[in-house]
Amino acid sequence: MKNRIKIERTILDLTQEDLANKLGVSRQTINSIEKNRYVPSTVLALKLSNLFKKTVNDIFELDDEEK
Amino acid sequence: MKKESIIDCERNSLEKLSKYQLPNSFKKIGFGLFWIGLPFLLANKLLGFASGLTLFIKYEILIGLLIVSISKEKVEDELITKLRMQSYAFAFISGVLFSLVLPVIDFLFDFLFARSTAIFNSMSDWSILWMLLSVQVFYFELLKRLHK
Repeated sequence: MKNRIKIERTILDLTQEDLANKLGVSRQTINSIEKNRYVPSTVLALKLSNLFKKTVNDIFELDDEEK
Repeated sequence: MKKESIIDCERNSLEKLSKYQLPNSFKKIGFGLFWIGLPFLLANKLLGFASGLTLFIKYEILIGLLIVSISKEKVEDELITKLRMQSYAFAFISGVLFSLVLPVIDFLFDFLFARSTAIFNSMSDWSILWMLLSVQVFYFELLKRLHK
């Protein structure tokens, strides 16, 4: 699964630490999601969606083999 | 009380019990107990100076590791929960495998080198618990480092 978290974070001028604090998770979690090593829960995906004011589908995208 | 509400109540209390964790500060206490006990146990094994203390030290090490195992991280989020569950699964499977395989290897070596005195001994309770807890703690710390 691909995601645009790093891009959206940069648009809002947030560091990984800032984003982690806003979402109540650790910086490692944000780093792991950005590097596609961890797929977040629906709750966390919705929190990201609210923060970036984008739909979940705009932030996360399935790989071709997952579709 | 309705049947559904009784089931909900039971489920909630079971979930609360299974999710119970000690505060993060207990982790240091657990590691402290472990690192105090380990040199004593090794020295005792090599020198054999205080055989009466061995059982006490063995229990102290297990309690220390258990405290580390059930203590919260500074930020206990969903990634940490996932890594914790992975480490418990890995520790359980490797613990069962080791407790099945090691006595067989031990017996085979005994049989090869001292055929007349070879006896099949299963692993002791302490060894199995030590294996489970130490593998869980080590694997969890390793997974955390890999996600940094």
